[in-house]
Amino acid sequence: MNNKIVPFLPELLRHLFKKPATVKYPFEKEAVPEGFRGNVVCDAAKCIGCMICVNDCPAEAIDIIRVSETEKKFKMILHNDRCIHCAQCVDSCPTKAYHMDAEYETAAFSRHDLKIEYK
Amino acid sequence: MEFKVSLGPQHPALHEAVSLRMTLEGEIIRDADLKLGYSHRGIEKLAEERTFTQNIYLTERICGICSHSHTTCFVQGVEQLMELIPARRGLYIRTLIAELERVHSHLLWLGVAGQEAGFESFFMYTWRDREVVMDILDWITGNRVHYAMNTFGGVRRDIDELQKKKILDSLDLLTKRTEYYLKIGANEPTFVGRLAGVGKLSREDAIALCAVGPTLRASGVPMDVRKDDPYAVYNEIPFEVCTADSCDVLGRAVVRVKELIQSYKMIEFLLKNLPDGPFKVKAPRKVKPNEVYSRYEAPRGENVHYIKSNGSDKPERLKVRAPTLANYTATIKMLKNGFIADIPLIFAAIDPCICCAERLVQLDNPRSGESKVLSFSQLRTMANDHYKKVNLLKKEAVWPF
Repeated sequence: MNNKIVPFLPELLRHLFKKPATVKYPFEKEAVPEGFRGNVVCDAAKCIGCMICVNDCPAEAIDIIRVSETEKKFKMILHNDRCIHCAQCVDSCPTKAYHMDAEYETAAFSRHDLKIEYK
Repeated sequence: MEFKVSLGPQHPALHEAVSLRMTLEGEIIRDADLKLGYSHRGIEKLAEERTFTQNIYLTERICGICSHSHTTCFVQGVEQLMELIPARRGLYIRTLIAELERVHSHLLWLGVAGQEAGFESFFMYTWRDREVVMDILDWITGNRVHYAMNTFGGVRRDIDELQKKKILDSLDLLTKRTEYYLKIGANEPTFVGRLAGVGKLSREDAIALCAVGPTLRASGVPMDVRKDDPYAVYNEIPFEVCTADSCDVLGRAVVRVKELIQSYKMIEFLLKNLPDGPFKVKAPRKVKPNEVYSRYEAPRGENVHYIKSNGSDKPERLKVRAPTLANYTATIKMLKNGFIADIPLIFAAIDPCICCAERLVQLDNPRSGESKVLSFSQLRTMANDHYKKVNLLKKEAVWPF
């Protein structure tokens, strides 16, 4: 039976001295990879009000509202409580008004606090 | 003497809600019956109200482990409806993600099997190695679980040279580790002893009960959608269909470890032969009226999407058959004449994803034994009536001292 344990010995010894696979999260933070889909950020100045993002958003998390009656100016309201971070709006936007940031700590006490307005 | 025992829907041995009713003779299960319908989500109905683009992300959320499987199945079906030929580079990247997903799913399963068999260190090792694949997926797609890589006409992100190199480097480590697991199988008699002979499913039964995926292949049937009905670029990739002849849980573990090694070879081939050119082509928004039946070999088995379009930008009907549903009948066969203590292991061996498989709410009246389908409004009225009758606060109850 003893010779059966031998294949495990190197593995066991190696794991004794190996760095833990986990990090102490709130104190130590791992960097997110490039291209990580964090929060949606909108540059409202570029918006032309085509509403493609509103129609394509699978979570219905985007509202585009016309600000002035005379000028073609829009504001974007992101309901981050509904957002599923798929970045379809980034792909759909014809004027490239959207991008995703690297933020991943988005918890809040109320869903109303998660509403973000871009003017 | 026979006993009737009910297991679940809430039970520590089961990871998700499913109810099992068994007739026992001592420790041995003589008869078993599964009751489903505890985690209905109404995804198919929701899909009818969303556009095709929105549905990519909805189908992705059918399952957390095989998220890419469901989107690929849906996307390739809709591409057929659109009569759209996807970009070749896009198809290669789509297949690459599919194989990476298979690697992470099989490593996860190996860990679960180790845990259910009482081999906790194996669980720790495989899940630690799984992090390597998860990091690769995170790095190339932007998320660990929901990759959101598929779109009509190809994929949404390209792969650059640096990413290629990193994946190839990680593959060496993963191949080494998987070969080590094969060695563990040969050198650990308790692990093999726990898995061997449990959950027997003969070749004839596996075919007759329409088992799919590793469950079917472990019964010696070399059936794989990737080989039988190639989609994406599987007709260009050299690979073998892995089978085992032991027809038990050990065979299912062996098939999965063998498939891991095949997947590593396929990933290497895909990266080295990645064609140049665009990774997606423009897709129309509206789809002509037609219907399509799309098949995909998910890590758990054959995944099927039936899509019917009506000329608008929304599907008329989407029907999803997840691999777990196909394996339920075979599971009942496997449970019969087995021990109660083997239930978690046999269940884990089909890699069940119960909420992926459930599509219908059925209510049983335990007193009369009737079953009927109820609408949402009827359910709500029933629930309201119930809570009106039940005295939850018990205001008349007083502390006696």
